[in-house]
Formats: sequence, structure tokens, C-alpha cells
Amino acid sequence: MIGKSVKSMVLTFLVLTFMCGLGWAGTIKIGLMCPLTGSWASEGQDMEQIVELLAEDLNAQGGLLGKDVEIVVSDDGGDPRTAALSAQRLSTMGIAGVIGTYGSSVTEASQNIFDDFGIIQIANGSTAIRLTNKGLEKFFRTCPRDDEQGKVAVKTIDNMGFKRVAILHDNTTYAKGLAEEAKKLLADNDHIDVVFYDAMTPKEQDYNAILMKMKAAKPDMVFFTGYYPEAGLMLRQKMEMNWNVPFLGGDATNNPQLVEIAGKDAAKDFYFLSPPVPQDLDTPEAANFLKSYKKKYNAEPGSVWAVLSGDGFLALTTAIKNTKSTDPDKVAAYLHTKLKDMPGLTGKISFDNQGDRVGDLYRLYRVDANGAFVLQPK
Amino acid sequence: MELFFQQLTNGLAVGGIYALIALGYTMVYGVMKLINFAHGDLFTIGAYLGLTLLTAMGLTETLGPVIGILVLAVMVMGLVAIIGVILERVAYKPLRGADRLAAVVSALGASIFFQNAVMLIYGARFRVYPHDILPKVAVSILGLEIPLIRIIILATSLLLMGALYFFVQKTKTGTAIRAAAIDQGAAKLMGINVNRVISIVFLIGPALGGAAGVMVGMYYGQVNFTMGWMYGLKAFIAAILGGIGNIPGAMLGGLLLGVIEAMGAAYLSIAWKDAIAFVVLILILIVRPTGLLGERVAEKV
Repeated sequence: MIGKSVKSMVLTFLVLTFMCGLGWAGTIKIGLMCPLTGSWASEGQDMEQIVELLAEDLNAQGGLLGKDVEIVVSDDGGDPRTAALSAQRLSTMGIAGVIGTYGSSVTEASQNIFDDFGIIQIANGSTAIRLTNKGLEKFFRTCPRDDEQGKVAVKTIDNMGFKRVAILHDNTTYAKGLAEEAKKLLADNDHIDVVFYDAMTPKEQDYNAILMKMKAAKPDMVFFTGYYPEAGLMLRQKMEMNWNVPFLGGDATNNPQLVEIAGKDAAKDFYFLSPPVPQDLDTPEAANFLKSYKKKYNAEPGSVWAVLSGDGFLALTTAIKNTKSTDPDKVAAYLHTKLKDMPGLTGKISFDNQGDRVGDLYRLYRVDANGAFVLQPK
Repeated sequence: MELFFQQLTNGLAVGGIYALIALGYTMVYGVMKLINFAHGDLFTIGAYLGLTLLTAMGLTETLGPVIGILVLAVMVMGLVAIIGVILERVAYKPLRGADRLAAVVSALGASIFFQNAVMLIYGARFRVYPHDILPKVAVSILGLEIPLIRIIILATSLLLMGALYFFVQKTKTGTAIRAAAIDQGAAKLMGINVNRVISIVFLIGPALGGAAGVMVGMYYGQVNFTMGWMYGLKAFIAAILGGIGNIPGAMLGGLLLGVIEAMGAAYLSIAWKDAIAFVVLILILIVRPTGLLGERVAEKV
């Protein structure tokens, strides 16, 4: 009797496994590589929430090619070495494409691995110029490039009528690249001088020395190309030393936590450049996304970079839907040439033949007295 | 000249924080010859516990800012001390007889555990201390405007260091700690309960680290689950600079590192600040391999 029940149990188990297998074969898997741990963990966790939400919405509407979409998440730790392992792991899981990741150096470590496996990769926060100069057929990004931002920054500084500019970066690949780009462009400009150019150390928390040194150079505005935690602290320490100089931030300062860190008084009148967040777009896609995000997580989406991973997901699934195929060659060709002005969460999406996103994306934001980010008219 | 004095006081305040953390490294090393890599994360835990107690219990509102912060600091020190003792029981005591390398690996594991536990409990985002705990006043000393908080931090760290120095030098338990640091075996033969000494060391070190965590939270207003790494590293350097295992050395090393960093940032390139601090460290260690106050240990073969 015991033998029989064991046999039937084994049989049931086998049948169940088989059915699970069928279930697995019936989904389209899309990879998501994001920093769930490490110092960019908050970005990665937002990315996961957003992509999972979009996948749920898509499945509720009948899925993709008659199948459900399944998101396979893998942590890159915000670290190139972990990213390489993560990319290897995802590549063997039969994914139709991968979304991510955030940091440029991290994405770079995974690029060639995905390319070797012929997997489409759509990065969301990696703005370093060289990533799309490698001739990788299946690499795309939904974020703009650093040189684009440099141009917009210089134009903004010029329009606002500043004459003496201090530029400060934090020695990361991204911030340094942007600072150099801006410095180069400003050197060609006759009526704006760069009176200060240096780097600070992120995570240090104490920026009094830098601020004092900068103040001695008497700039009439400061362009800071680093990230929001440092920007917030500097704004606060600047206020505490009674220095009243306008700050312009790069797109890495676009995070609501900036205001929390600086406090509303210190953050008031801080300017920054960024692609527009869904809250500022009046497209139905953005409105729907905001509605379901609020319903599920009871909060507003965090930074624009995480939202751009949602755009990557939308671009990929649209391409799969319209080509009726998960063949990477067909989907990549579609993304390069046929996907034109797809309405995304951050505006219209098209890619050029290098895989860069097309169109001028940057807008100027100002922080108002309530700590809200206000989109400035163009 | 104003820049010089501003940076000097700023460097001393930051250095005081480094020194408090460095004491935890140096005391544990002194008694157990172990680098407690999880110490930086105990500091992070202190900063987060301070934030929780501050926002959940509203200590500063009911008790006023000064007493409120004092009570807060004592509570955080107590809690972090308990975590420190548990850490020792779980991660280091079972390895007491094992190779020293095993305990170091265990310490690294504990560090990763703590860091991720903080992330899972409090989330990966930056957390912010309330901005209005202390009035934003600058005290004028000899025509120099110094923020009140900077003075409070320096004074508190000096007070804690003074208390520790007195405890180690003048009390019976302190003598036992010093004896165990010199020779554990001999201390045991003299009737000193070495296990108790180790427990005490793991009470005091993390308590000081927790206090430093609260100070950083109050000074900069911003805490993050990875912050322990940076401060831990700097404090570890401070401990080596002063001579690891030597308690006054850790105090001196911490203050010195803070001032060197602040001066380097003010008068040389900011981008080179860390490089300058490390060059100074290398130079000092070339001249005095045991650190500034480290004792030269004669080894008899």
C-alpha cells in the first residue's frame, strides 16, 4: 500500500512539473537587470516596481502574442563585476530581451555579454556617450546622451544671463564627462567665463571646504553635475553659510529626495535639467501609468531614470507585438527603423541607427517654495 | 585666515567622529587581535536607530532639545551596545579557538549582513533627520562664526573620549582590559575573566560607534545604509595612524585625519583630498610603522 501511494505521489509530482513546464513555455520572458542592492538600490527597486507594474497591466490586457509576459529580475548591485555575472545568468534563461541598467559603467560590463548571446538590451540610465559608439546592433537606450545634456546646459546658462560660472563634478564617469563637455562648450563662448572647475568626493557629507573655495572665486552661478544626495547636502550647507548663489544641477539631481535632504528652504530656487517626468506630461499613456502606479504602490514614481526603464519595456513589447516575433534580429531592426514616435511615459520614443533615443528631451526644472519640481516653459 | 579656522574647527568636528569610531576598532584589536569589519555597520545602525527613536518618540519635543538629544544618545548607545555583544556571541565567540583569518571572514560576513538588514528594514533610500532639532545658531568665538552643532559634536566626542580614558586607566575593569590586551594567557592566570573583558569591549566600542552615528545624522541630516563603509574605512585608517590597539592613539589619529582632510580640501585640490590623506598616512607609517603612539613590541625568539 505504501509503495502504491509513493508511486502515485511521484506520478502527480511529475505531471505537475510537466504542467509547470508547459506554463513556462507559454510565457514570453523579459529580463530586467537593475541595482536592487548597493548604493543605487533605491533606483533599482523603483525600476523593478515600474516594470513589474507595466507587465501586469499588459497581461491584464491579454498579454503579448497571446502569451503572458514574465519579468525575470536580476540584481547587478550597481557594480560592474556583479553585472557581468548577472548578464551571464540572464542570457541563459531564454529571455526575449533585457531592460537595464542604470549606471553607465555597469551597463558597459554587460553589453558585450548580451551581444554575444544576441539579446536585445535597452538601457535606461546609462548616458555615457561611448556606449552606443561600439556598433552593437542590439543595444538601445531610452535616456539621452551626456553631450546632449552639455549642450542644453550651456544654452540654459546663456539664456539665464550668467557670466561667471563655477563647474563642480564628483569624479564619476558620468559627472566628469558632463562637466568636461560643458567646460569645453563654455570655453568657445565669449561672454561666459568658467571661474572655478574642480571635483568633490561623493558620500563625504561635508562640503564646507568646497563651498568656501568656490565662494572665493565669486561665481554668479554654480553648475553641479553630480548626484542628488550631494546636491541636497551642498544646498543645505550653502544656506547655512549664508551664500546666496543659484545652483543648476545635471539630470542626476532629479529625485524628490533632494528636497528632503536639503530642506525646503535650501532647495527653493534650485534649477536642474532633466527629461520630463510623467507627472508633467499630458499624454494618456503617462496619465494611465500614474494612475495604476498610485493604485498599486500608493506613491508617486521616484526618479525619471526608473521611469525610463518602463519606456524600455514599452518599446520592446511594442516591437515584439508589431513584428509578431521574438526573433532578436527582427525586433532590433524594427526598433531601429520602424518604431517612430511611440507614445511613452517620458514623451515620444524613436531610436536612431546607433540605438540612441532621438529628439531633444531635456527640460529645465525649478524647485518652488513648497519643494515641488516645476517644469519651466521652454 | 577665516578659511583656515573654519576648516580647523570643521576638521576637528569630523575628526572627533572618526576618533569615536576608531576607538571601537582599536579596542577590539587590542584585546582580540581582530579587525572588526562590522564596526562601520554598527555605526550605521546607530544612525538609523537614532532616527527611529527621534521621529517615533518625539524626544526633543517633550524633553527639549538638549536633554532630548542626551536621552536619545544614551538610548542609542545602549541599543547598539547590545547589538555589539550579540554580534560577538554569534559571530566571533564560536571562532575563538580557530585561525585568526576565520574570524576576519566572519566579520566581513557580519558586515554584509548588517548592511543588507538595514536596507531591508529601512529601505534603500536616503533617510533624513528632522531639520529643526537644534536651533541654527552660530556662536561667535574671537570674531569667528562657528555653527553651534559643530561645537556640540566636538565637545561630546571629547567628553566621551575623556570618560573612556578615565575608565580604562583608573578603574579595575579598565586595568583588566589593558592586561588582557597585553597578554590574554597571563591575564587569565592572574584571575581575570577574559570572556567578560571581551564582552565589555564589545559593549563600549559599539556604544561609541552608535553615538557617532547619531552625531553624523544630526550634523549632516542625511543617513544611508552604505554610509558605514566610508566612515568605517576612514576610522580604520585613523586607528592605524594612531597605532592600532592603542586607545589614545585612536583619538589622536581620528582628530588628525579629520584636520588633514579638511586642510587638504581647503588649500590643495578637493579632488585630491583622499589621495593627500593617504599619502600622509603612508609617510607616517614609513617613519613609524607601529603608528604615532603604537608601542614597539619586542619579540623574543
